[in-house]
Amino acid sequence: MSDLRTRPTTAHDSRSKRSSGGDLAAEGRRRRASIAAFYTVLIVVAIIYIYPFVIQAGTSFKTDGDSTYNPLNPFPTVATLDAYGTLADVDFPLWFRNSVIVTAFVTVGRVLLCSAAGYALSRLHFVGRKFLLAAILAVMAVPGVVLLIPKFLILNQLGMYNTFSAMIIPLLWDATGIFIMKQYFDTIPPAVEEAARIDGAGVVRRFWSIMLPMAGPALVTLTVFAFQGSWNEFTHMIVARSSAETNTLTTGVAALTTGQFGSGNRYPLKLAAALIMTIPVALVYFVFQRKLVRGQGGGAVKG
Amino acid sequence: MALTSADDVVVATHGRGADQAPRPGGPRRRGNRLYGREPVLAWVFVAPMVVVAVLFLIVPILMALWVSVSDWSGRGSPLAATVGFVGLDNYAAFFSPGLAQRDLSTSIRNTFYFVLLVVPLQTLLALGLALVLNSRRLRAKSFFRTAYYFPSVTSSVAIAVVFLFMFSASGPVNSILGLVGIEGPNWFADPRGLIHVVAGAFGVDEQPAWASGSIAGISLWQWLAGPSVAMVSIIALVVWVSAGGYMLIFLSSLQGIDEEVNEAAVVDGASTWQRIRHITVPILRPTTTLVVTLGLIGTWQVFDQVYIMSQGNPGKTTLTPAYLSYTTSFGSAQWGQGTAISFMLFALIVVLTIIQRAATRDRENPSGRRGRRRASRKEVAS
Amino acid sequence: MSRTTHRPRILTLGALAALALVLTACGGGQGFSDDGTTSSSSDDGGDGGDGESGGTEGAELSVLVATGDTESLGAIQDLADTWAQGAGATVDVQPASDMNQQLSQGFAAGNPPDVFWVDASLLPTYAAAGNLWPYGEEMSDVDFYPALVDSFTYDGELYCAPKDFSNLGLVINTDLWEAAGLTDDDIPTTWDELQTVATTLTTDGVTGLVIGDTRDRVGAFMVQAGGWIVNDDQTEMTIDTPEAIAGLTEVQELLESGAAAFPKAVDSGWGGEAIGTGKAAMTIEGNWFKSAAGADYPDLNWRVAELPEGPAGKGTLTFTQCWAIADASQNKEAALDFIKSLYTPEVQVDLANRFGVMPSIESAREQYVAGVPESEQAWLAGADYAQGPVSAVGMDPVMKELDTLIQQLPGLAPADIASQTQENGQAVLGGN
Repeated sequence: MSDLRTRPTTAHDSRSKRSSGGDLAAEGRRRRASIAAFYTVLIVVAIIYIYPFVIQAGTSFKTDGDSTYNPLNPFPTVATLDAYGTLADVDFPLWFRNSVIVTAFVTVGRVLLCSAAGYALSRLHFVGRKFLLAAILAVMAVPGVVLLIPKFLILNQLGMYNTFSAMIIPLLWDATGIFIMKQYFDTIPPAVEEAARIDGAGVVRRFWSIMLPMAGPALVTLTVFAFQGSWNEFTHMIVARSSAETNTLTTGVAALTTGQFGSGNRYPLKLAAALIMTIPVALVYFVFQRKLVRGQGGGAVKG
Repeated sequence: MALTSADDVVVATHGRGADQAPRPGGPRRRGNRLYGREPVLAWVFVAPMVVVAVLFLIVPILMALWVSVSDWSGRGSPLAATVGFVGLDNYAAFFSPGLAQRDLSTSIRNTFYFVLLVVPLQTLLALGLALVLNSRRLRAKSFFRTAYYFPSVTSSVAIAVVFLFMFSASGPVNSILGLVGIEGPNWFADPRGLIHVVAGAFGVDEQPAWASGSIAGISLWQWLAGPSVAMVSIIALVVWVSAGGYMLIFLSSLQGIDEEVNEAAVVDGASTWQRIRHITVPILRPTTTLVVTLGLIGTWQVFDQVYIMSQGNPGKTTLTPAYLSYTTSFGSAQWGQGTAISFMLFALIVVLTIIQRAATRDRENPSGRRGRRRASRKEVAS
Repeated sequence: MSRTTHRPRILTLGALAALALVLTACGGGQGFSDDGTTSSSSDDGGDGGDGESGGTEGAELSVLVATGDTESLGAIQDLADTWAQGAGATVDVQPASDMNQQLSQGFAAGNPPDVFWVDASLLPTYAAAGNLWPYGEEMSDVDFYPALVDSFTYDGELYCAPKDFSNLGLVINTDLWEAAGLTDDDIPTTWDELQTVATTLTTDGVTGLVIGDTRDRVGAFMVQAGGWIVNDDQTEMTIDTPEAIAGLTEVQELLESGAAAFPKAVDSGWGGEAIGTGKAAMTIEGNWFKSAAGADYPDLNWRVAELPEGPAGKGTLTFTQCWAIADASQNKEAALDFIKSLYTPEVQVDLANRFGVMPSIESAREQYVAGVPESEQAWLAGADYAQGPVSAVGMDPVMKELDTLIQQLPGLAPADIASQTQENGQAVLGGN
C-alpha cells in the first residue's frame, strides 16, 4: 500500500476539480444503488428470520386442519384458542412452574458463584491461582456431549436423580461467567481497591461493597446469560430427571413434539407451547439488549 | 470495556483523588500483614464453583471412563464390587464388523456431511451479514441485528418445533416450493442421500460395483451418499440459528478495523469487493479461524435437533455419534459401548481442532487464548 | 473501619451463599412435587437390589403405560382409582413418551415405576437383566391362554400377567370404500386383489393403503408368504429365504405402484392416524386402533377385514404385553394386589371393549366374542394363524436395524434387506 497519509488531500482536490454534474451524479447513483442492494439483502434475510415466528404465532391460533391446508398464511381462517386450552390439559402450567424454579435458582446461584470466583481469580493472591485458571480452561475444552452420560452416572450415584437439586446444582457451573466477571474486574484499576485496603477493608468488604457494585454491566450480562442458559437448558434435563412431575418446559414440549400426548400432527398445540416458552427469554433479551450493546460496539460509536 | 475512567471510579466510591498510588512492590509481598487472610478467603470464594466442577464434571468423566472399560449393565452403581473390568472390549466392538460398527460409521458419515455443509454456510452467512451491517451508511442496524440474533436466544426445542412444522410434508417450505413449481420432498421421511439423488439423475440408481468395498462396516457407496434430504432440513435449521451469533463476533471484529486503511483504498480506486477481499478478510482471519473452530466443535456434537425432530430416522440418516451414544446407553442399556462412543467422539473433536488450527497456521498461543476468546465472544456477542 | 466490623459482612455473605446452596439442595423431589405421588425409590442407590414388598395400605403405586390416547389412559386410570379406593392406597398412572428409554433410566437409577407394561419382544431381555419380579406363581389360578403364558415365561418362570393381545387386520374406511363403488365381495383375499383395491381407492389426496414402516406391520406379508424372521425356537435366522423375501417384495411392489405408502409419506405418525385423518382409505393395524379411533377420530366409519392371503395362505402378526412389576419396587404387594384386581372376567371384557384388544383369559372369551360387533371380528379370527414377535435376548438392535432397512423401501432391494438382517441376527443368535 502506498503512503496513505499524503494521498487523500490531493485526491480529494483532484476529484473536486474533476467534478462536473455528470460524474457526481453517476457516483451518487452508484452509491444509492449499493445502498439499495444492501437494504434488499438485509430485508430479504430479515424476512427469512422473522417469518417463521410469524407463522408460528399465527398457526397457534388455527385449527389442526387449517394449519395443514393453509400453512403459509399466518392469518387463521377461523381464529381459535383451542390449542392454548389444550395446553392446560397436558400439564403445561406445571412445566412452566418448574422452569421458573430452576431458572431462578440457577441465575441467582451463577451470579453469586461466578462473581465470587471471578473476583478471587482477578484480585486475590493465593497459591494455585494459575493452576485454577488453567484447570478452568481445560474443563471448558471438554465438549458438552461427552458429559451427557457422566452427569447421569454421578446424579444416580449421589442419589439425587430426578430431584430439583439434580436439575439445579450441576448447572451452577459456568466457566464463561467466571471469565466475564474476572475480565471485568481486571479492568477496574487497582487503585480503587488499594485505597480501600489501606484503609483496612478486608477481602469480603472490598468485594461486597466496592467491586461488586462497580461490576454492574458485567453482572447484567451474566444474569441475562444465566437466565437464557437455564431457561433453555434441555440436554441436562433429559439426563437429570425422568418423571412427569419434574418436566421443565424444554423436556415437556419435547415430549409433546415426539408424540406422547396422543396421535395427530397437532401443530397448533405444539407451536403454541413453543411460543409461550419463548416469550420470557425474548422479553429478557429485548429489555436488556440495550445494556448489552456496548460489546457489539454498534450502539454508541458507529450508529 | 470499562465505560468510565479510572479517576471517575475512584472519586465516585471514596471521594479520594486518583493520586493514591499503590505501595510499590506491595502486591508482590506475601505474608504481609495486610494480605494475611487473603489466600484462605480466596479459596472460600472459589470453593463453591470448584466443588461443583469437581463433583459434576471431573468425577463424572472419570466414572464414565470406568464404565467404558467395564461391564456395568445399568443396574445399581457402576462402582459396585460386582462390576468387572473388561479392558478395551467395549471399544473393540467398533473395530470389528457388526451392527455396532455399522451404526457408528453411519453416524460419523452423517455428521461429516452435516459439518461439511453447516460450517462453511454459517460462517459465510455470518460474515456476509456482518459486512453488510457494518456499512456506515445503514440505518436500523439494531433492528436487523436483533432479528438475526434472535433465534440464538430461544430454546433449541422451540426452534425444532417450528422447523418441524416448516418442513412438514404439507408445510410452508413445500408450499413455497410449490409456488415456483417444485414438488417438495417429504423432508423428514426421505432417506435418500443428496449425492445419490444427483447420481440417479445420471442414471446411477444402484450401488455400482466399484463402490461396493466395505470401509468400517459400510460400503463406499454408502459413504458417498451425502446428507439425506431429512438431514438437509436440520442443516437449514442449524445454519439459520447459528449464523446470528457468529455474525456478532464478526461485527465486533469489524468494528475494530481502522477506517483509514479502507478510506485510502477507496481513494486508490479499489472497489468494494476488492476492499473486502484484500483488506477486510485478511484482517478478519483470526476471527474467522475462531468461528470455524467453534463451528466444528459445535456441529460434531449435534444432539438436540436429532432427539426432537428425527430420532436418527429416516433410515438412520440423521443419526449422529452424540445421539448414538445416548441411545446406546439409555435405550439399549449398553452403557459400556455408549460411553466408549462418547470418548471416541471427544478424541475426534480434539484431533479435528488440532488439525484445523494447524492448517490455518494460527501463530497465536491456542490454549492460553481459548478461554479468554470464549469469554470475550460472550461479552461481545451480547 | 476496624477489624471487628468485618465479621458481620462475612457472615452476611456466607449466610447468603449458604442459604442459596442449601435451598437448592433441599429443593429436591419431595418438597416440590405436586401431588405427593412420586416414583418409589429403592432403599439405597447402591445395589438397587430387592426392594421391600411393603403393605397395601397407604402404598403409593406408580404405573407407567405405553399408550397415548386419552381413552385407554382413562380406562386404566378408572380401574386404578377403583382399586386404590378399596385398598386405601394411591396410584399414579402416567403415559410414557419413550417406554424403553424411561424404563432404562429407571432401572439404572434404581427407581423404576412399580408397574409397567412390557412387550413380549422385550420380556426376555428385561428378565435376563434381573429387572423384573417374577410373580407369575401368585397368579397360577388365572386361566391365561397358554400361548400368552409362553410369551412371558423366561427360564421356566412366568414373569408377569399377560395384559391382552391384538392381531393385525385390514382396517377399511367404509365411506371411502362405498364411494369407490366397492362392496363386501371386493374385500381382498389375495395379494393381487389387495393391489387392485388399493389402486382403486387411491385418488387425489388419498392413498389406498398406508402401512407402517416397521417389521411389526410389513412382517405380516412375510408370514403370508410362508416365511418369518427367525425359526420357531428363535435359534436361527430365517429371513434370508425366498419366502420371507417374497413378502418384502410384495410390500415393495405395493409401494412402487403408488397405491400404498408409509405413514410419514402422508404426514402421519402411524397408519391409524393416516386413515383417521382421511389420508388413507385402508391401513393395517391391530385392535388398539379401536380405542384410538374412538378417542381421536370419532367421525370415522370403519370396519376390519382379515388380511389377504399370500402364496402360503393367511398370516398376521400378534402382539401382547404384560403387567410387569419391577424387581426394585418397594410396593410389590400392593402392585400384585392391583394387578390381580384386573383379572375378573368382567374387568377384562370391559377393558377389551374399551381398548378393542382381546382379553388374555379364556373365561372371558365367550363374553367378549358375544359383545364384539361384526365390523371388528376379523381381528379375532387372526388368532388361529398369527405369528408372535421376535423376542430372543439381544435381538432388539437387530430388529431396529431391520426397521431402518424397511424404511428404505421401495428403493432398497428386499434381498439386500434380508441378507443384511440375516447377518446381523446370526451374529447375535449364533452365540446362543
